[in-house]
Amino acid sequence: MSPTATKPEVLVIDDENQIRRLLRFTLEDAGYAVREAETGHAGLVAAAHSPPDAVILDLGLPDLSGIEVLKRVREWSPLPVLILSVFGQEGSKIAALDAGADDYLTKPFGGGELLARLRALLRRVKPAEPANPVRFGTVEVDLVRRRVTKDGRKVKLTEKEYALLRLLVAHRDKVLTHRHILNELWGPKEAGQTHYLRIFMMRLRRKIEDEPDTPKFLQTESGIGYRLVSDAG
Amino acid sequence: MVRLSPFISAFIPGLFQKSGVVRASPAAIGGKSQLDWMPPRLSALREYLEVLGVIAAVTIAGWFAPSGSYRAFGHIYLLAVIMLCLRVGRGPVLFAAIFSALAWNFVIIPPRLSFSVLDFEDGLILGTYFVVALIAGQLTARIRAQERSERLREQRATALFNLTRALTGARTMDDAVEAALRQADELFSAQTALLLPGESDRLVPHPASSFHLDELELNVAESARHEAREMGRFTTRHPRTGALHLPLLRAGSVLGVLVLRPPPAAALANPAQRELLRAFAAQVALLVEREHLRAASEREKLLAESDRLHRTLLDSVSHELKTPLAVLRSAAENLPKAEETRRADLAAEILTAASRLDRVVANLLNQTRLESGAVKPQPDWCDARDLISAARRGLGDALAGRPVRIEIPAEMPLFMADAPLMEQVITNLLHNAAQYTPAGSPLVVTAGVEAQKNRVFIAIADRGPGIPPKVRGQLFQKFRRGDETQGSGLGLGLSIVRGFMLAQGGDVVAENLPGLGACFTVFLPHTPHESVPIE
Repeated sequence: MSPTATKPEVLVIDDENQIRRLLRFTLEDAGYAVREAETGHAGLVAAAHSPPDAVILDLGLPDLSGIEVLKRVREWSPLPVLILSVFGQEGSKIAALDAGADDYLTKPFGGGELLARLRALLRRVKPAEPANPVRFGTVEVDLVRRRVTKDGRKVKLTEKEYALLRLLVAHRDKVLTHRHILNELWGPKEAGQTHYLRIFMMRLRRKIEDEPDTPKFLQTESGIGYRLVSDAG
Repeated sequence: MVRLSPFISAFIPGLFQKSGVVRASPAAIGGKSQLDWMPPRLSALREYLEVLGVIAAVTIAGWFAPSGSYRAFGHIYLLAVIMLCLRVGRGPVLFAAIFSALAWNFVIIPPRLSFSVLDFEDGLILGTYFVVALIAGQLTARIRAQERSERLREQRATALFNLTRALTGARTMDDAVEAALRQADELFSAQTALLLPGESDRLVPHPASSFHLDELELNVAESARHEAREMGRFTTRHPRTGALHLPLLRAGSVLGVLVLRPPPAAALANPAQRELLRAFAAQVALLVEREHLRAASEREKLLAESDRLHRTLLDSVSHELKTPLAVLRSAAENLPKAEETRRADLAAEILTAASRLDRVVANLLNQTRLESGAVKPQPDWCDARDLISAARRGLGDALAGRPVRIEIPAEMPLFMADAPLMEQVITNLLHNAAQYTPAGSPLVVTAGVEAQKNRVFIAIADRGPGIPPKVRGQLFQKFRRGDETQGSGLGLGLSIVRGFMLAQGGDVVAENLPGLGACFTVFLPHTPHESVPIE
């Protein structure tokens, strides 16, 4: 990224000084501009004052709960929000994702992971790169011609399998909750039928993955949903 | 004699029959032994009346007998007096001797209805008769008393023997108390109760007690306990109450009170019986003391165990937390001044330490969540392959260099489970396998359905040395590690596995596969899901 180009700006809302500092190092080294807020209220003010390109929001804030901050942000802006949570908070992660968070990271996390998530979020907002066809590994998904190939050979997918893959590709590198996928593919009435999803995911993996039992691309986020990891080699 | 014996044994209850029972073969010892309260004894007046009746009957018979046989009646009177000896006390016997001599003289010895004796021979017979009747009566009474005390001693020995046997046979304190009280009920033909200090230090009746104590009796029992002396009936303190209160004394302290309520008419027979009561109370005291000691040693053991847990917890938590912290610190300090080629190594060390720390903290948190009941599984359809691959991904380098074979049948169904919990379970089992088997040895993960039992299983087998027999019993206990000298960790992994499986209505078992290695299998109940709509 050239120094003259406007750097994407990230607002970090976390009460832990050290986490903010480390995030600043990581993000600035990767070419982002960083603003910090120590509390939920300060974060809301900072975000409203001058909207950043993305928000990194800790779920455990001293004044407002992270979910509350998220809801208030969502009242006026669809800007991408990445949630930071600690282990064992599956419930609050799902609640945050349902409340409009775009992705989550569990502490402790690596810098590489963080940057990958952030890239995925910003890509969705600014689809600068040509979005079609999408490639991951030896798989190529042509969203315009509805054509999927693996190692150059056509992969035959059923209607629903393709719909599932297309959804994951459209949100690649970003977590999709079970409810979200079920809602998109089967409609709101079937949002509780997670076994539909698991069955189709199993079939899709058999067609897409080299080793369906240890998938590289179509990954499970236990208790939450799925993620298509597009840069998994 | 043969014809006479039923009559004699009916008339002489103690001498022949009962002594026979008491001195009986060992078989009789196991039988019931009953210690009567002082016999529902003939009252003194009744005894005198009986004497009067018997002598009168002999006299009347003599009146109608031919007058020539009056001397033979001396023998009949003697027989009557000796038989009376066996039934009545000393006083009535004396009375019988005197009265019979007078009656014989007055009514039967000619001249009839006169005390005057005709000739010297009759006078001699009468005098001798009187002395013989007197001596025979006293002798018989003494023999009877001896026989009686002998019988009591025997009964006492048998009773205590039976009690001891019942007590040693009892498994729990309650069983033993029950046995002791039932024995007492029978032995003393009384109702018995055992009072032990309860929570507020008031005496509380043991549930095995055979009668209910009213407020008054409870108060008497309390004072018997505080003054450490016998009270109630047959004593000088509170003699009007219906029950006898015996404090259970051991080494100067009162452990409780044994309360005995004999039938209302009963009287305390003799010192021997009181002795038996005390001996009985002493046995019960011993029992209570034994229980106290057992409880104390139990507490001691519990304390020792919780002490061990605390020490282990402190030792291993501080070790497990401080080791990675030490690595982090020294690696970070060295990082700026390290040569370029070293930096990557240091960074790798930091990462390893961090993930180790992460695991320790996660295990501690999971164990705490389990113990505080904060684990609330949210079951959803799970795919075994998914769980296994997620767990492997999470373990990262911990499985490096190990071939992992996954054997899951194509028709493996989805099952209901809490995915994050299951992922943790599989992670811990894989990590455990990796820790206790040689580096590079393979792992085999299988899954399947046991249709007949309606459950699914996931098994993780290794090719290591297997589970050592000495740790098998405590495999799933917290803070227990397979081999204290080998590897590291808090010893929480398997405890969490078990906790998470039980929380989900499942289970985990460990076994050694002969010739292969250890195998941990988790089970979950399974009902197939509804069909998935065809597109």
